[in-house]
Amino acid sequence: MANVTKKYPGESRWKGWWYLLPALLVYLLFTFLPILETIRSSFYQWDGFSQNKVWIGLANYVELFSDPKFHNALQNNLIFVIFYSLIPILIGLFLASMLSRRPIPGFAFFRTALFLPQVISMVVVGVIWRWMFNPTFGPINSLLRQIGLDVFAISWLGDFTWALPAVGSIGTWVQYGFCMVLFLAGMQHIQDEYYEAASLDGANAFKQFIHITVPGLRSEIAVALVTTIIAALRVFDLVYTTTRGGPGETTMVTGFLIYRAAFTNNRIGYAAAIATVLTLIILVISLFIRRYQQQGSEESA
Amino acid sequence: MKKRTIFLSISLALMILLSACAKPASPTDQAPVAGTEEEVLLVWDQFYRDEESKVIETLNAEFEAAHPGVKIQREVKVLDDLRTTVKLALSQADGPDVAQINQGRNDMGALVEAGLLLPLNSYLEEYDWGTVFSTSVASRNSFTEDGKTFGTGNLYGVSPTAEVVGVFYNKGIFNKNGWDVPTTFEDFEALLAEIKAAGITPISFGSLDGWNAIHEFSAIQHLLVSLDYINNLTYGVNNVSFDTPENRQAAQILLDWANAGYFSDGFPGIGYDDSNNLFKAGNGAMTITGSWLAPELMVDTDQEFGFFLLPPYEGQTGLAIGGVGIPFAIRKTSEKQELAAEYLNWMISPRAAELWSEAGMLPAMALPEDSKVDTKNLFGETLNAWNTINQANAVGHYIDWATPTFYDTLVAELQKLLGGISTPANFTEAVEADYAAYLQSQSK
Repeated sequence: MANVTKKYPGESRWKGWWYLLPALLVYLLFTFLPILETIRSSFYQWDGFSQNKVWIGLANYVELFSDPKFHNALQNNLIFVIFYSLIPILIGLFLASMLSRRPIPGFAFFRTALFLPQVISMVVVGVIWRWMFNPTFGPINSLLRQIGLDVFAISWLGDFTWALPAVGSIGTWVQYGFCMVLFLAGMQHIQDEYYEAASLDGANAFKQFIHITVPGLRSEIAVALVTTIIAALRVFDLVYTTTRGGPGETTMVTGFLIYRAAFTNNRIGYAAAIATVLTLIILVISLFIRRYQQQGSEESA
Repeated sequence: MKKRTIFLSISLALMILLSACAKPASPTDQAPVAGTEEEVLLVWDQFYRDEESKVIETLNAEFEAAHPGVKIQREVKVLDDLRTTVKLALSQADGPDVAQINQGRNDMGALVEAGLLLPLNSYLEEYDWGTVFSTSVASRNSFTEDGKTFGTGNLYGVSPTAEVVGVFYNKGIFNKNGWDVPTTFEDFEALLAEIKAAGITPISFGSLDGWNAIHEFSAIQHLLVSLDYINNLTYGVNNVSFDTPENRQAAQILLDWANAGYFSDGFPGIGYDDSNNLFKAGNGAMTITGSWLAPELMVDTDQEFGFFLLPPYEGQTGLAIGGVGIPFAIRKTSEKQELAAEYLNWMISPRAAELWSEAGMLPAMALPEDSKVDTKNLFGETLNAWNTINQANAVGHYIDWATPTFYDTLVAELQKLLGGISTPANFTEAVEADYAAYLQSQSK
């Protein structure tokens, strides 16, 4: 005991590593090493189980960039960004500003109810919405028929035009509650004085929203952007449980291509190459948003 | 000091835990005790549905009773799960001794190529399996030793169950409207029109899941092509093409049916199970799918169903999609190969045939002549159909085995065809592109 208490707090820095060690070990073993292994595998031709593992350099990447299926899937992922990220953030901003400015009876209930989709497993979400969209007995088309809009009662998930927006809108449903709760929390840090001063100067609610609320939520919006864009780019479970990439290839996403390459076509190397490219894209986008957020906070400071 | 000790011991405990994870204790690690040691046979299968699982449980219990000292350690997985895990497991020294391996190039072919499956030729002779199943059935579980050529070479698995794709129909709806089971394809198409005119869905079908659209198309295709063609196509021999007038015609017929409204309303947005449930509930006069649906249609319903083969064109003969279920195979590095072979033989015994029949599933083996299994039901009708195509040598194939990517290509292209995005000619050309590319890659 004595030799420890002799030192001043913070003096022996190396001791901190012991506290980090358990988490670090888990991280190294289950996250960092698998990432390195994935990158390494992407330079090989390998079926995933035999001894026959052949170094082929960049051949997987060359094939990938000329693969129209990959282009199509990546494009669909970008469309998913609209549904997973942009629309939920707009809805979230709208709902948050509605709920935060004036007291609403049952506020806690609304907040919980709207956040609920976020805590349901995506597989369950997919199964439920597949039933919702069912053209024969799904509630969406039943409702449309009841109000006389029979022409809109189409087979959503099987329609070449509407399947992608339909699956995308499930993503919107899942994400907007999360954005709303995030923004609600952020709004508590914006001082009421700003709004008072602005209304004294004659700014209407919309102007207050644009010039006070949105800048004040800069870091929350950045967090929402990063998490929802990542969700949009790595989407797999939702597509797997609803359309399996169909009809044709209209809802095919990169996550599903990875699964198919690795587990049905025995092409671990090719799957690893797709995964590596996807990770790089996510990394670049995250860094870009983070930088934008930091620039913003420096400016306002 | 105390705190540090706690953290040290936690991280130490963690490391021990991790090293334990990395090298699980296997039964072989235990020191054998002469005379008292149980021999454990590790078996992976995918018969997870209740009635199926009961058949396996019964057979396993009887196997254990007949082989004192042997214990079967069973692991049940759904097919998708089995497929993604079994390949790696078979490369391990403590992997399953016996496992069900999906037919086709991506699964059995790839495992044979990697040298992980045991050739069963010697057991074929020892157990006289030639009398249990025909050579046509055996070829479905056969590959050359390099895993490259399908349908010939060594036998790598034995299938306990059989399947035939045909037409399930609602007997109540047929009787009420005075419709008879059609005996020619012309009659069948006339009946479709008649059912439609009566305001009933002629064929309960949904293409959302994709794979059953292959059966829909291929069932028609099987009426138009020869057995040689379908064999060549599936096994990738003799350089046949997919872009043929017959295949184009089959695609055209399928498209015509869709356009005439013969399928369920909104069929592109309906999944396979949902379309079956609709059919079972009495919505739809017929559905085209495999005999595996029979057990489900025999329970929990007030409707009565029948089964017939899609009838051939007038004055011609036709094939039917059919085959044997997912076979049991043996891990090449297993130390219990003799016992494993004995187990395989058990799974295709007359007793197994009887149990599968009682469950409503077609056995791949003939039923014993003195069998008391009830065949005056839907199961009996599927059994008749299976016997008919076997006697006529008219058992076709699942064409999605033809190339490693054929399944995905067929699903996507059939959805495009049915969605009005492409034409029958586009369809056969796009599928042929996949097929030709595969043949070329094989000839290198």
